[in-house]
Amino acid sequence: MAAAAVQGGRSGGSGGCSGAGGASNCGTGSGRSGLLDKRQGLTVLPRLIVNSWPQVICPPQPPKVLELQWKIDDKPVKIDKWDGSAVKNSLDDSAKKVLLEKYKYVENFGLIDGRLTICTISCFFAIVALIWDYMHPFPESKPVLALCVISYFVMMGILTIYTSYKEKSIFLVAHRKDPTGMDPDDIWQLSSSLKRFDDKYTLKLTFISGRTKQQREAEFTKSIAKFFDHSGTLVMDAYEPEISRLHDSLAIERKIK
Amino acid sequence: MLSLDFLDDVRRMNKRQLYYQVLNFGMIVSSALMIWKGLMVITGSESPIVVVLSGSMEPAFHRGDLLFLTNRVEDPIRVGEIVVFRIEGREIPIVHRVLKIHEKQNGHIKFLTKGDNNAVDDRGLYKQGQHWLEKKDVVGRARGFVPYIGIVTILMNDYPKFKYAVLFLLGLFVLVHRD
Repeated sequence: MAAAAVQGGRSGGSGGCSGAGGASNCGTGSGRSGLLDKRQGLTVLPRLIVNSWPQVICPPQPPKVLELQWKIDDKPVKIDKWDGSAVKNSLDDSAKKVLLEKYKYVENFGLIDGRLTICTISCFFAIVALIWDYMHPFPESKPVLALCVISYFVMMGILTIYTSYKEKSIFLVAHRKDPTGMDPDDIWQLSSSLKRFDDKYTLKLTFISGRTKQQREAEFTKSIAKFFDHSGTLVMDAYEPEISRLHDSLAIERKIK
Repeated sequence: MLSLDFLDDVRRMNKRQLYYQVLNFGMIVSSALMIWKGLMVITGSESPIVVVLSGSMEPAFHRGDLLFLTNRVEDPIRVGEIVVFRIEGREIPIVHRVLKIHEKQNGHIKFLTKGDNNAVDDRGLYKQGQHWLEKKDVVGRARGFVPYIGIVTILMNDYPKFKYAVLFLLGLFVLVHRD
């Protein structure tokens, strides 16, 4: 939906440009010689009408200064190339985007939801402690406070264990629905790592077959300099083939087996 | 048109990631809160860490020192000990030394305090008609101190705009920055 709106904006914008340019610079060099103006004017007129059609058909675009679109899915990703975590996050997000949009897999939010639940419960304990202490001033609220504090730190421990052992560094779990609808879904998992102050980014793709429950994985380690240009913009043309190659290598193995 | 580039990362996030950013902020605040409440429970005092605001206890404590307090029921208050107490009707606790104690058989005590650097005892500070302090006025007993660090708290209280600016910037940083 966002792509269609941008398309409309682009064609509407170009129609507006050539329409506003007027007879003087429409076409190619008609403004060069005043003698040709009259004849060129007649041929320019139909072109003017044709070029201004998109402007009429598409809904009028709001002036640029009021365009406060929040979602910027189509804008190329530009980050501070010296910030390690921003680099890793942008690479992870783009890999996620490729897998979800190009191959049309469905994201499974189970792992993320687990982490969000643990965090929400911890914050809940903190809020309970705050409100209880406010309503029953200190010495009476001691047992409840002690309980909340201990529960909070226990939840923190659980969160640490969950992030280290269950989630590891997996940032995407995607399902591929079986086209026949009979077999359970195949699962694709993406995990990545980028060491602090290092430039080698490792992306690991794991495939778990729905039917045989077998697990296969493939990974690549490349320098982040291969994917970012000097201004910090992520070049999808260099990144996407890598992801596709990784994906296809696992998909082809499956077919051979 | 404002170019809020630092918000670009936030704009690309989906609902779950936005919720996680908010939760991250909440967890940092909760951790600080839980550590404070935990200290309250362990020490038994309702304000386990206080900052010395005046110079009435020099040369022992100077303005800006951080004090650690405990308020255990079993510790008796004796003459010569430094206590932090709150006078009824005033919200700022005072840290002075105990001068005289009257003790009953059942353990109920009344005591008088004076700042080391003051010329007179604290009767002038107590409530109208009150001549002695009791156990219930005590916030805690000073057990340890760290010099000078409390100056930051004093600055933040004297210039509240500075405090709000720092807190706002920290909050914004946590909300926008990932991991």
